Amino acid sequence: MKRSVRASMSDAQKFSLVRREAMYTGLALVGLIVFWLVAGFGTAGVDAKIFHVPLWAVLGTVGVWLVAIVISFVLSRVLFRDIDLGGDDDGR
Amino acid sequence: MAGNLRSMILLLPLIFFMAVMVAISFYVRHKQAGKNFVSSYFVGNRELGGFVLAMTTVATYSSVSSFVGGPGMAYQVGFGWIYMAVVQVTAIFLVLGIFGKRVALLARKLNAVTVVDIIRARFQSDFLAAVAAFVIVLFFCGTMTAQFVGGAKLFAAVTDYSYEAGLILFGLTVVIYTSIGGFRAVALTDTCCAIMMMVGIVLLLHYVLRAGGGYENIMTTLETNNPELFEPFSFGNMPWTIYFTQWLLVGICTIALPQSVVRGISYKNTAGLHQAMLIGTVVVGFMNIGINFTGILAHGVLTGSAADYGGVDNIIPTTIVMAMPIELVGLAIIGPLAASISTISGLLIVASSAIVKDVYLHYAQKNNRVVTPARVKALSMATTAIIGAAVFVIALTPPSLIWLINMFAFGGLETAFFWTLLLGLFWRRANRLGALLSMAGGTIVYCATQASGFKIFDLHQITIGIAVSLILFLVGSFIGKRTNDATLKIFFPHD
Repeated sequence: MKRSVRASMSDAQKFSLVRREAMYTGLALVGLIVFWLVAGFGTAGVDAKIFHVPLWAVLGTVGVWLVAIVISFVLSRVLFRDIDLGGDDDGR
Repeated sequence: MAGNLRSMILLLPLIFFMAVMVAISFYVRHKQAGKNFVSSYFVGNRELGGFVLAMTTVATYSSVSSFVGGPGMAYQVGFGWIYMAVVQVTAIFLVLGIFGKRVALLARKLNAVTVVDIIRARFQSDFLAAVAAFVIVLFFCGTMTAQFVGGAKLFAAVTDYSYEAGLILFGLTVVIYTSIGGFRAVALTDTCCAIMMMVGIVLLLHYVLRAGGGYENIMTTLETNNPELFEPFSFGNMPWTIYFTQWLLVGICTIALPQSVVRGISYKNTAGLHQAMLIGTVVVGFMNIGINFTGILAHGVLTGSAADYGGVDNIIPTTIVMAMPIELVGLAIIGPLAASISTISGLLIVASSAIVKDVYLHYAQKNNRVVTPARVKALSMATTAIIGAAVFVIALTPPSLIWLINMFAFGGLETAFFWTLLLGLFWRRANRLGALLSMAGGTIVYCATQASGFKIFDLHQITIGIAVSLILFLVGSFIGKRTNDATLKIFFPHD
């Protein structure tokens, strides 16, 4: 996990990085929507319960929340990079 | 005498909490003395750390309806409602992940302190900025009124005091602390509010389980008596259209809410942003699942249908009164009231900035009029107080269908800002005409369909608003004049 503050990055590099990170976030959203569909509606026909709660409800609520936490972790700790927000290094 | 004692026990925690909120605002005002007033008052000098950023974003996003109407619906509909509400776990990582850094970089380059500043710079249009400021003030007033009314109704239902007394207690408090302390105070008080919301959920859940004879007992009874609660469509009470529109209304489109996006201008560094994405997702999920699950478990305390208690909005207040010991009721209602005041304060400061910074100061600067720092300070605080007071007065005679007004305002803001911000900040081809048509045209169509009740496939009108807004944006962008190179170089230096 390489997350150093990149003060030496040019403005163009920073904006390019930020666009890439936004794209990762968008893809993560798509993944979460798919998981939400499969975990909830996809398992609604399964006759199983966990602590009296139907499997679809457990996976579709707590499951979705946990996946969202994992997504946030991966985005913020693995895919996203620290940058200097100063914006004075672009030679404007 | 006994009644007076009960009232005092109920009121004391609330008064203490509100006093702490006001004290924080005075402390912040004192600490910010001598710094650039506009930047400190409207974005807290870009000094927010990760934890406070997460909490203020969550608290502003979570309104009183999340704590009252939502769990009341969960009581009626069951697990399908939580399944629908859990889409809100996307809200924090989406807005911070997509806009957080881009807005922060641009704000520093442009010396922007509001979302409208960035829109003005991107599309080089004072008219568009004025429309954006108008839309913000208009829809924010609607949302704030709903928060005032929701909070005061809850207060009146749980305590022996009147609706007006509740409005004065927490309504005036929020106006005072926001006016005095500005954004920094809003962020810090939001953090306190978010913590109190979580404490309130845990307390209520504990006492609901106890009053209902334990988890096992409540769930076994529900399985026998209310099988509809365990079915995703709740035997027809939860149509697919609700799932679909909620993904738009309280999930995906919330990334463009100005009150959320402005938080991207306010944080100190990207380490804080990354931390906030994680903390915010944990907290928003805990709140959503926790309070709505408590709504279902309230069947262990209440035996009738929601209608027997006067509708879904009365489920949580009635449960609080019936399940909790009197000495903790005051503490328990701080949670929902905190949700209410944190949303109001977040909206109030952005609405104030729209008038003072985006309209008044901009035109003063344009006409070479000198505005002294003392005048800016007095104007900013007065504007915040006046907007708050105006909404307070409207809430004194609450309009009917208040929750519909809340959702109407939410959809209106999303229609106006979603494509303007998303395409404006990530698509070079986006131009002034596209943004103008999208914001003005989309909002007008959205309001017209809301007013006429027109729907397609019984979907909420946000679907029409967002679709029309997109079409108009694309049409305008392809037929309108391209944005000049100097502006594009600022917004897209990498292309």
